Amino acid sequence: MIGVRILGIGSPSGDDQAGWLTVDALLAGGVQTTVDPIRVQKLDRPGSGLITLLDDAAWVILIDAMQNHDPIGRIRHFGADDWPAYSHGLSSHGFGVLNALALARELGSLPSRLDLYGIEIGSASPGEQAGSEVQAAAQQLAQHIAADLTATLLQT
Amino acid sequence: MSEQKRTVAIHVPVLTRVEGEGALDLRIENGEITELRLRIFEPPRFFEKFLEGRSHTEIPDMVARICGICPVAYQVTAAQALEKLFGVEIDPWARAMRRVFYCGEWIQSHSLHIHLLAAPDFFGCNSAIALARIAPDEVRRGLRIQALGNELMELFGARSVHPVGIRIGGFHGAPALSKINAIRDKLRAALPEAEALIRWAASIPVPQDDQGFISVAMQHPTDYAIETGAIGVSDGLRIEADAFDVHFAERHEPHSTALFSTYHQQSYLVGPLARLNLNHACLPEQIKALLAESGLALPSRNLFHSLVARAVEILLALHEALRLLDAYRMPDSPWVLVTPRAGVATGCTEAPRGLLWHRYEMDDDGCVVNARIVPPTSQNQGRIEEDLRLSLLNLGLDHPDDALRLHCEKVIRNYDPCISCATHFLRMNVERT
Repeated sequence: MIGVRILGIGSPSGDDQAGWLTVDALLAGGVQTTVDPIRVQKLDRPGSGLITLLDDAAWVILIDAMQNHDPIGRIRHFGADDWPAYSHGLSSHGFGVLNALALARELGSLPSRLDLYGIEIGSASPGEQAGSEVQAAAQQLAQHIAADLTATLLQT
Repeated sequence: MSEQKRTVAIHVPVLTRVEGEGALDLRIENGEITELRLRIFEPPRFFEKFLEGRSHTEIPDMVARICGICPVAYQVTAAQALEKLFGVEIDPWARAMRRVFYCGEWIQSHSLHIHLLAAPDFFGCNSAIALARIAPDEVRRGLRIQALGNELMELFGARSVHPVGIRIGGFHGAPALSKINAIRDKLRAALPEAEALIRWAASIPVPQDDQGFISVAMQHPTDYAIETGAIGVSDGLRIEADAFDVHFAERHEPHSTALFSTYHQQSYLVGPLARLNLNHACLPEQIKALLAESGLALPSRNLFHSLVARAVEILLALHEALRLLDAYRMPDSPWVLVTPRAGVATGCTEAPRGLLWHRYEMDDDGCVVNARIVPPTSQNQGRIEEDLRLSLLNLGLDHPDDALRLHCEKVIRNYDPCISCATHFLRMNVERT
C-alpha cells in the first residue's frame, strides 16, 4: 500500500499540461524527498487505467485540466462528496477521469482520501506551451499541495 | 379505416460506448426499412498524406498515433511490410516478441470492449458503472485483465498508449530477464481468470440472430494468426497481402468519411468472430475444450457471439504470450541493420478489431512516396449496415423507437468500431411514415 499517490493528468497540448506542470512544480520543490512515502506520476489520458492506480493508495491527489467557463487559471477543489454530483466540465479528457472515478467508487476501489483538483484552462492546441495563467496556477497549486502534505503527514 | 402516417425523429445526444463520431439514420415507411445509413462524419485525418516524404525510420512511431487502442497493430503491420520490401530477415527473437507485444494489445483492447463497452448492453445497463453494481467481481476481473495487457505493451513499448518499442528491423531494446519473469508469473495467474471470463461471456443471454456473411481473417498453417499469415476468406480464397487489391475494393459513399470496403462487390466481416470462424481449429486444446463446454458452435452466424469470441481471444493471447516468454532469451541485438530500397511494400496483421492492411511506395532513400492504410472499421462498415437491416427485421420493426435504437446500438457495438479516439457519440434519427 502506498501512502500518497499524486497523479497529474494531461497531454502535450497547450494549457492541457496543467496537471503535468503541477507535478513538475511539486517535484521541483522536492516534495518527493521531503515527505515519504509518496508516489508521483504524470499520466496522459489514462481512461479506465486510472482505477488500478486508486486502489493501492490511502490518499490520492489528482490534478487535471478543466473547462467550466471560469477565468483561466482558476483552481477548484473537489472532495469525495463533491465530484459525483459534478456532471460536466471537470475534465478535458472526455470519458476519462469522472467515469473512472465513478466506476472505482462502484467497485469500492476509491482511496480513503481523494482530493481532486481542476485547473481552468484556455487553449489546448498540440505543440503549444501552456499559457502564463495556467503556469502560475500550477505553481500555486503545487505549493498548496506541498503544504497540505507536510501538515497532514507530520500529524500522522 | 384510414391509416395514420406519422414521422418520428429521435435524437440520442451521447453514446459513450462507441469509439468515435458517428450517426445512424433509419427511415421506416409502411413497415419497411427504406433508409439505413451508418454515417461516419468524423473529419478525415490525412495520416496517409502525413507519411509522404517521411523516412522509413519514422513510420512505426507515426502510425502508432493513428489509434490509441491498437497502436501495436499499426506499428507491426508497417514494420513487417517495409522489412519484406527491404529484404530484411529479423531475428527470431524479435519475431516472437512482436507476437507477444501484439498479444498485450489484444488482451487490453478486448477486455476494455467486453467490460466497458459491450457487456452492459446484455444486462440492461447503460454503462460499465451500472454494470459494476450488479457484476462487480466480473468488472474488477476485466479491469485486471486489461491492466495486464497494458503492462505487456509497456514492457516492449515503454508505454501502452502510442508505444515506441518497434523499429524497422526489430525492437529498440530488449526487456531484462527479471521483468520477463515477473510478467510471466502474472500471465500464468491470469489464465484461470480468463477461463472464468469465457464461461461468464458464454453464459450471457444474447439475441438469437442468424445471418449469412463472409468472414475474412488472416490464416496461418499452424498458429492462430495474429501478426503473420495469409488473408483467408470463408469461401476458401487464400491470398497474400500484395493481392489484396485484386479481390478487395474501397469506395466512397457520400454519407461517410470512412471508405467502404467490399470483397468481390460484397460486404464482409473482419474481427474476432471472423477470426474464430476461420481459425478455431488452431486454438490450443484447452481452449477448444472450453469452447466445447460453452456450447458455442463454430462457425457462428450470430454477430452477438462477438463478445465471447473476444473472451476466447484473450485466453489465446495469454497462452501465446506465456508460451513465447517461457522461451525468452536475451538477444545479441534486438534489431538488425536495414538497407532501404525503392519499391512497393504491402503487409497485413490482425488488429484487435480485424484485418489491417498497409501499402507503401518507397523511394531509393527509404522515404514514403505514398501510403495506403485500410483499417478494420472501414472494412466492417458495409457489414454493419447490412447487419442492422437484417437484425432489425429479425427483431421486428413494431417495437418502440427506444427499443429499436438500443438494438441498433447493441448491433453496432458488436463490431467495436474504432472511428477515432477523440469524441464519442451516435446520433440516431428514426423517421416513420
